[in-house]
Amino acid sequence: MNAMTAPVNDSLPPEVLDLLNSKDGTAFEQALDAMVRQREQHLFRALGVLARDLHGAVSRLGSDLANGGMPDSMVHARNHLAEVLEMSSQAAHRSLDFVDRIRPEAEALSNNANAVLDFNSSETDPAAVLARQAQVFASACCEGLNDMVLVQSWQDLAGQRVKKVVSFIESVESSLLELVRLTGALAGREAPVEVAKVNSQDEVDRLLSEFGF
Amino acid sequence: MKILVVDDFSTMRRIVRNLLVELGFSNPMIQEADDGHNALAMLKANAFDMVVTDWNMPNMTGIELLQAIRAEPKLKGLPVLMVTAENNREQIIAAAQAGVNGYIVKPFTANTLKEKLDKIFERLAASGASA
Repeated sequence: MNAMTAPVNDSLPPEVLDLLNSKDGTAFEQALDAMVRQREQHLFRALGVLARDLHGAVSRLGSDLANGGMPDSMVHARNHLAEVLEMSSQAAHRSLDFVDRIRPEAEALSNNANAVLDFNSSETDPAAVLARQAQVFASACCEGLNDMVLVQSWQDLAGQRVKKVVSFIESVESSLLELVRLTGALAGREAPVEVAKVNSQDEVDRLLSEFGF
Repeated sequence: MKILVVDDFSTMRRIVRNLLVELGFSNPMIQEADDGHNALAMLKANAFDMVVTDWNMPNMTGIELLQAIRAEPKLKGLPVLMVTAENNREQIIAAAQAGVNGYIVKPFTANTLKEKLDKIFERLAASGASA
């Protein structure tokens, strides 16, 4: 303090000014320590509140993640999306089954109509007229079935988007679990093995149980 | 002609198979794989004349499959047609640089498939590499 020869700032609190002007070195140091301790206590109290809040939030998050039955849980969301994929795939396959079943019938109708017209190409005979109509219908039918097959490719396109959302949810889930792991480690518990990716509910539960969630 | 259709969606494999049959290819000669990894194993084990592959697949993507095919002396001349939802510039350029023979963006029509296949076979015939 001897090196500080500059005038003391008048805006300082009187007790600090008194201390600075005091000749009693021991009293000065004790008072300074007391002030620092008081400040530290405020800081530690604030940090404590923050840590408790964080731990509470992460605990709730951990139990949400572990509880697969919660409607808004990540696991549930992923399962729902997997169901959407499965249902749309089944619907597309059923449409394709229908095409597979009807196409040969349309082709057979066209062939039969051709056979009729081979020996009866009259413009007025009802059988020939019907055969021509059948030909037109069978051709339109085949064209429509081809379109129907192509339209099913939207299932694949929609499915790819759903898969992207699933992988996004997985990455969020992984990050949240990593947060749970880190806060557990900060709270003095031993850090578990690295969580690269959590694939199953069992793994989620196992990981969380290491921290008492 | 033996064709391998590679896609992780069974619907899409079935659609491509259906269209190929419509275009006159033999149904029993069309085989399917659900990712690039399985496709590569099938290509190494059996002789195929063409590959129709998706891009986005687990384990091994379509572009990785294409690169693996071009890197394999026994397979490098195999025609590869990509049928994919990936339509951004970089990806199309990457496929071209990796040596793709044709590129179709989903959804597509039977005519587009026919056009691209015809073009592939024309080029192969012109280069004298046609099987």
